[in-house]
Amino acid sequence: MARVKFLCDADRCINCNACVTACKNANEVPWGINRRRVVTINDGKPGERSVSMACMHCTDAPCAAVCPVDCFFTTADGVVLHSKDLCIGCGYCFYACPFGAPQYPRVGNFGTRGKMDKCTFCSGGPEGEDGSAAEFAKYGSNRMAEGKLPLCAEMCSTKSLLAGDGEIIAQIYRERVQKRGYGSGAWGWKTAYKETVTV
Amino acid sequence: MLIKRRDALVQRTRLQSVLGDLSSGALDRRAFLRRAGIGAVSLTAVALGAVKKADAAALTPGAAVKRIKAVCTHCSVGCSVIAEVQNDVWVRQEPAFDSPINRGSHCAKGAAVRELVKGSRRLRSPMKLVDGQWQKITWDTALDEIADKLKAIRAKSGPDSVFWLGSAKFSNEGAYLYRKLAAFWGTNSVDHQARICHSTTVAGVANTWGYGAMTNSYNDIRNSKTMVIMGGNPAEAHPVSLQHLLTAKEVNRANMVVIDPRFTRTAAHATDYIRLRPGTDIPVIWGILWHVFENKWEDRDFIKTRVFGMDEVRKEVAKWTPEEVERVSGVPGEQLKRVAQMMAKEKPATLIWCMGATQKTVGTANVRAYCILLLATGNVGGFGNGANIFRGHCNVQGATDAGLDVTSLPYYYGLAEGAWRHWARVWDVAYDDLLARFDSKAMMEANGIQTTRWFDAVLFPKDQVAQRDNFRAMMVFGHGGNTVTRMPEMIKGLEKLDLLVVADPHPTTYAAISERKNGTYLLPVCTQFETSGSRTASNRSIQWAERVVPPIWESRDDYEVMYRLSVRLGFAEQMFKHIKVVNNRPEPEDILREINRGAWSTGYTGQSPERLKAHMEHQDKFDVVTLRAKGGPVDGDYYGLPWPCWGTPEQKHPGTHTLYNTSLHVKDGGGTFRARFGVEYKGETLLAEGSYSLGSEIKDGYPEFTYGVLKKLGWDGDLTAEELAVIQKIGGANPDAVAWSIDLSGGITRVAIKHGCLPYGNAKARANAVNLPDPVPVHREPIYSARPDLVSKYPTLPDYKAFRLANIGGTVQRKAVSDGVAKLFPIILTSGRLVEYEGGGEETRSNPWLAELQQDMFVEINPADALSRGINEGDWVWVNGPESNSKAKVKAKVVERVGKGVAFMPFHFAGWYQGVDQRSKYPKGTDPYVLGESVNTLTTYGYDPVTYMQETKVTLCQIVKA
Amino acid sequence: MIRILLVLAMMMAPAMAQRPDAPVTGFNPTTASVNEAQLLDALKQVNGRVSIPDKKSAVLIQPEGKNWRDFQRGVVPWLAGLLVLGTLAALAALAVFYVVRGRVMMEGGGSGETITRFGGFERFMHWLTAGSWLVLALSGLNLAVGKHVLLPLIGESAFSTLTALGKIAHNYIAFPFTTGIVLMFLVWVRHNIPNAMDISWFRQGGGLIGSAHPPAGKFNGGQKAIFWIVVLGGGVMAASGFLLLFPFSVTDIAGMQTGQMVHGVLALLMIAAMLSHIYIGSVGMEGAFAAMGTGEVDLQWAKAHHSLWVEEVEAKTKGVAAE
Repeated sequence: MARVKFLCDADRCINCNACVTACKNANEVPWGINRRRVVTINDGKPGERSVSMACMHCTDAPCAAVCPVDCFFTTADGVVLHSKDLCIGCGYCFYACPFGAPQYPRVGNFGTRGKMDKCTFCSGGPEGEDGSAAEFAKYGSNRMAEGKLPLCAEMCSTKSLLAGDGEIIAQIYRERVQKRGYGSGAWGWKTAYKETVTV
Repeated sequence: MLIKRRDALVQRTRLQSVLGDLSSGALDRRAFLRRAGIGAVSLTAVALGAVKKADAAALTPGAAVKRIKAVCTHCSVGCSVIAEVQNDVWVRQEPAFDSPINRGSHCAKGAAVRELVKGSRRLRSPMKLVDGQWQKITWDTALDEIADKLKAIRAKSGPDSVFWLGSAKFSNEGAYLYRKLAAFWGTNSVDHQARICHSTTVAGVANTWGYGAMTNSYNDIRNSKTMVIMGGNPAEAHPVSLQHLLTAKEVNRANMVVIDPRFTRTAAHATDYIRLRPGTDIPVIWGILWHVFENKWEDRDFIKTRVFGMDEVRKEVAKWTPEEVERVSGVPGEQLKRVAQMMAKEKPATLIWCMGATQKTVGTANVRAYCILLLATGNVGGFGNGANIFRGHCNVQGATDAGLDVTSLPYYYGLAEGAWRHWARVWDVAYDDLLARFDSKAMMEANGIQTTRWFDAVLFPKDQVAQRDNFRAMMVFGHGGNTVTRMPEMIKGLEKLDLLVVADPHPTTYAAISERKNGTYLLPVCTQFETSGSRTASNRSIQWAERVVPPIWESRDDYEVMYRLSVRLGFAEQMFKHIKVVNNRPEPEDILREINRGAWSTGYTGQSPERLKAHMEHQDKFDVVTLRAKGGPVDGDYYGLPWPCWGTPEQKHPGTHTLYNTSLHVKDGGGTFRARFGVEYKGETLLAEGSYSLGSEIKDGYPEFTYGVLKKLGWDGDLTAEELAVIQKIGGANPDAVAWSIDLSGGITRVAIKHGCLPYGNAKARANAVNLPDPVPVHREPIYSARPDLVSKYPTLPDYKAFRLANIGGTVQRKAVSDGVAKLFPIILTSGRLVEYEGGGEETRSNPWLAELQQDMFVEINPADALSRGINEGDWVWVNGPESNSKAKVKAKVVERVGKGVAFMPFHFAGWYQGVDQRSKYPKGTDPYVLGESVNTLTTYGYDPVTYMQETKVTLCQIVKA
Repeated sequence: MIRILLVLAMMMAPAMAQRPDAPVTGFNPTTASVNEAQLLDALKQVNGRVSIPDKKSAVLIQPEGKNWRDFQRGVVPWLAGLLVLGTLAALAALAVFYVVRGRVMMEGGGSGETITRFGGFERFMHWLTAGSWLVLALSGLNLAVGKHVLLPLIGESAFSTLTALGKIAHNYIAFPFTTGIVLMFLVWVRHNIPNAMDISWFRQGGGLIGSAHPPAGKFNGGQKAIFWIVVLGGGVMAASGFLLLFPFSVTDIAGMQTGQMVHGVLALLMIAAMLSHIYIGSVGMEGAFAAMGTGEVDLQWAKAHHSLWVEEVEAKTKGVAAE
């Protein structure tokens, strides 16, 4: 079975934030929660590159390992999901996450956090019926159940953000690099999947 | 472990449609399938995937889902949007993979358009300002009161005292209707955003080779080997276009040169970045051309056959030695030599520009210089080359074409009597009736007053405005209030108006910026997603957008508001004589048919609503590079029938993908440079010599076609009796003078094309445009120059009067030098775009998905300038402008993106004025999420001589810690 | 410690080393572009700029998260097991030993006469601290190892509810706990200044070695040690706890990770220390509990254990009576 991944080809990312608003649009993510974001390295300087980042759905996901209530699940596609029924909003997963993916709504006093929210690879949540209104309200859309990929990647302005079967997107990236002769790397892959795309 | 059922095959087909052929071109849609080893099998899977898509669960499982194809309402790229609608609610937005333009992609704005019809901060009902308080009123009350006031003003001050500001957000039909409305009202002071974005492009390009539009297309850039982007930041302004640019860069290993004062997000992906001092475009272009001529790299054959007046250019260019170029612009000669070589040797080369070129006091001259560089290197009229002018708003090209312009009737016919008579015939009204609507025949043929200067026409003494009275009322449809320079003066003008009407989905800056207490109306007009109509993308492709949902709350569409207003103004019957009106709403299809009947000059005649709708339905048939369809009912057409699409819809001309392309037959979208400026100048021919489009029966240049020309050629016999009858009726006593452009029968056009000729003639492009203030562009320092030492050698034009108002740029520049403004305000201030926002930003700052991403107005300042001022990243600073004691309180962004001595501010913010938050002045619940200072509070005097384009790109400022 | 130094070193180095010869014009931005592998080699973390206000999101990649994960997954459960179970086991063995040998009894039996050892306020602050400590310790331990111990017993739903309540309790009870620590420090610090006597007290093993009780003030050497463990340890616990309670308000991701590790390890050490304190103060020694229970202790017992303090108190009372 396919193992899905994200790959941001930074040599094509122009920091247009389409992925960010597509995510908001697809999942009705509220203000202040950024399941996906674009980070610009060397902003305004020679060497500038932007990378779109969200949950990378790691192999041996650090978030899952540190969760005190074991609320994480990995689907057969390799998508890392978490149960909002179980999550207690402790924030541990944020410390463990190499990509800053977990987000927490602010509830109550001081730093008290609500239940964690993060990218689901547009796969809804672990409980409930696929595509149900309850699932949407809690986790956002479930495009994967309909045979669709995450909207962020589908709407990427320059086809920089790739989502899908890890082997296929790695192959596409490899061919791009061969064709054009440069590539700044499959950002986050080594950290997330303990492998990178060698060209 | 949780296991969810997945269908891997379907996923793959979806992935493949995301990727399409972009994987550096090696892997196209079909090749991808082969490579994935699923070949024919997966083609079935595609079909299956499509079926799955259709019954995909949306927000309410079980309820019926309608899929509607619309077009993004933001920039001119023209991305298709797929809306999934349940019970008239837009529940989901899906990628439009079939569109050859965006292939599913969007930028931040396009990916957030669904929010526009949720409209959390939209205006919900008509409002009226009563003693400083907003009051809700009904549509009928609003329109009755507005019409009464307009009539009263007209009675006292004449029709020219009302300024009609239209919008590039209109559909073509809306724009055309608005222009028609102004004509029936009796004024030429009808304008829109093109004034402040590409008016100088239109003037400069049209004066060079005939039409003021992008010559090629976003898609065609995929053929380029060299792309020079100068004065544009498409990564932020037209993000989806980068898909095509980057493909050229990757697949063709094309050069991507960015010449800009800012190291933009586009520059970050360039293969060569060159920084220049703002306002020195002409020295840089001449600097490039100097190397071209020096090394004899010019395309001599092209110049000989297709270019007029290059020798005058040589004389000017000779002055721009590498030393002088570096002294003026700061760019070393070697860098420009590289660019010269690429443009001349690594062809096809294209020049891409935007507002960095146009929004200048030398805007038209800049554009002209760009065109000349393309001509000298033979880079126009082919695939992968040309002037790829990225227009701004979603329909700014179409609205320009439709004549929302103070100098022309629809479709560039001008304002002369012949033009009025042409449109009177199209509208089936008597010319004399139209004439009677105006103050005089002179005013009917006089250029109107622009949006850049309207407040001068309010504030100046009456005798300094060349019309009966000052402006006393302003009708604003779809235009932000923070878009013009000199805002402190604009606000004074606003406060002096007797009547201000803002028809827009949002209250806009106009509602909050001034201290008006009465005489102000806000009309909630819906977005283009709540109505239907066609819009012209930058590449001249016309796309029909269906209505996604009915207008939300009490909003109404443009058509209906214009109709109901015209009823109250008493000319609806005449104006809508041949346009079907249902429930007070004129049908856009019928409006387009009227356009088709009249717009011969620009080839807007073949794009019937039926053809356009067929294109939207069969988007998947169009090739992403050639834009040409294979198969289906649209076989052979170019996508969106890019104008000129000659003849009637029944003649099935495919449209013109690349302008002036002689390697194609005119029936296949081929062309020549337009013979628009006569046949000779001082004995020298203006017609092409030995160059002609494929299949032309005339193997040389020729003038535009008239009935007389047809007769001379002996081709008049090809006209049908009906055509001839129409020509004779139009021509009256002198049918020979009837030109193709006013021949309502289309016969002259048809016959010319039959013989392989362009109806508009076959001329040379003019390197020397003798009718312009600077026939050959010369460098002129900005009004507020950071280099006063250069002003005496390169001064701006002396004062003069045009467009009913004086332009005193020369005086202002001299005074700035003598007052030592450059010492008091030592930093050059330039302005530009952010990807998240558009235009004045009222709509996008009201969209929470976008607004969250840019919450503060800022100024980019170089670390060296920040250090010497003790300014740190994130500090509040005051930016002070050199006019009106203007100041703006913004956050500092310390970044090397701007060079030392240069500051940059985005232009999308409003709602703060000189440090004061004006949130409370918006009608309740309609204030945008994000407010901030407008850069135009600081921008200063300066107007292009040809179009009165404002100077937004170069002024001076001082920055101090707040 | 190495980690903290590393963090400091990283904070001192500029976030992104700027090449001094960075060109401003006439260069190829494509070939100049950054590369992930190089950045990670050089800096261990990839930082950039974001436009959203959430500045911590500007950290693009922090592989350190995986080390923190390994610490949580590897070190914490072992340490917890070792310290908590180890201490409990040791104390149980001790208890068994004393059950066999008998408790540390009062010499010569009770005198019948009592002396006020701790006033009401002192007892209040002790029990305030102790009570909140108990909740904090249990909820904290649950957070650290509950999923290995309790989750299999009660199921994920009940465990999640319990842990969520524990989280709320942990967050709020931090405040009374901190208050108790501060009060104890203020009220008792003057009795807990270490002096020469403490050395001899320790040398004599607090009276276990030899027959005579070493002299001691209000607090003997052992109690002083507990005091300082509680005040210093509790202080660091509180400080690191508040750091975690207001995430990212004063530090970045590396600081948060370090803070959490300090909080966790110290918590386990404190739990071990407090278990010993509880043992001595309850079952381990006759008469000790009464000091915090009623506040009244047997004079005989007091004279044996806190001879100098008794003298001091008596001198004071006499002085008052003489007036």
